[in-house]
Amino acid sequence: MSECIVVTSGKGGVGKTTTTANLGVALALLGKRVVVVDADIGLRNLDVILGLENRIVYDLVHVIEGECRIKQALIRDKRAEGLFLLPAAQTRDKNAVTPDQMRELVAKLKETHDIILVDCPAGIEQGFKNAVAGADRAVIVTTPEVSAIRDADRIIGMVEAAELPEPQLIINRFRPAMVEAGDMMNKEDILEILAIPLLGVVPDHEDIIVSANRGVPVVFDEASIVGEAFRRVARRVTGETDVPELDFEQNNGIWGTLMRWMGLGPAREVAR
Amino acid sequence: MKDLINRFFGRGQKASKEDAKQRLKFLLIHDQVDLTPGQLDQMKEEILEVISRYVEVEADESTRFVLEKDEGQVALVSSIPVRRVVQRAKAS
Repeated sequence: MSECIVVTSGKGGVGKTTTTANLGVALALLGKRVVVVDADIGLRNLDVILGLENRIVYDLVHVIEGECRIKQALIRDKRAEGLFLLPAAQTRDKNAVTPDQMRELVAKLKETHDIILVDCPAGIEQGFKNAVAGADRAVIVTTPEVSAIRDADRIIGMVEAAELPEPQLIINRFRPAMVEAGDMMNKEDILEILAIPLLGVVPDHEDIIVSANRGVPVVFDEASIVGEAFRRVARRVTGETDVPELDFEQNNGIWGTLMRWMGLGPAREVAR
Repeated sequence: MKDLINRFFGRGQKASKEDAKQRLKFLLIHDQVDLTPGQLDQMKEEILEVISRYVEVEADESTRFVLEKDEGQVALVSSIPVRRVVQRAKAS
């Protein structure tokens, strides 16, 4: 059965687009037929994170306005079998699309794909309403910051008001050393406040910046701990329940860094 | 030094910030004229089709068809090597 998952956060800049791109790639690498949809009309960016910006001819608004067929607008990612991008329009605004049109579009995409991942724009207005319109469930991205968690809480309420099932949480930009020092909220603190199931914790890491520079999502990097974090989140998204948690500690310090340079030292797994 | 070590282990290749800068410049130009690289490619194909009705062109790596920014003005710059003029009959 196909399903549509919206990736949302309320607050901007917490890593929704990076999360959508990496989950999309990871799910495709797991053998799923995936479409990632950029619903941030007017501020398209998912194409850049995926490194597919040079291949855009048609976008979501063209499809909705009937200027092209869905198939013409879908960009196939040659690096990950089964992955397609439906880019946003860059020069229109959120009012170019209605929730009903999004619902119809998602229904059509579901005919040919297993998972439709929608990258939701920041905010709670029209763009959010469009992005959740066709969704069967929601994934909330937050960071361990007061402002991001506050907005996540608001968005969780709005997701429930849209009659979607209980959303799941991804904690992004996690910094183990700061948590250790007591200067960052830990997983338990955040879950206590938001009270929704956790899909995974993704560490804050330089790899993310380098991968964005290059347009190559970090999940393609077998040796990256962030890539591994996203790969595990993706497995949990598909319903796998026995995916071990990632242990960040080992990759800190000089030795971990040196091992990573040499492409050694995969992340150690610890039982939950 | 770190750069050197990175290169030694084959992880760094060239600094990724150069990629970032190039991609970004390219994107901003395309955003400014509201023409995606994909659309530019399509336009190139169509223009080549028209030109080849008059002259025989070589559409290979030496064909240049890009948007460039010069003093705030975006220009479409193209360079298409011509092999020879096609016979008149074909042109009409």
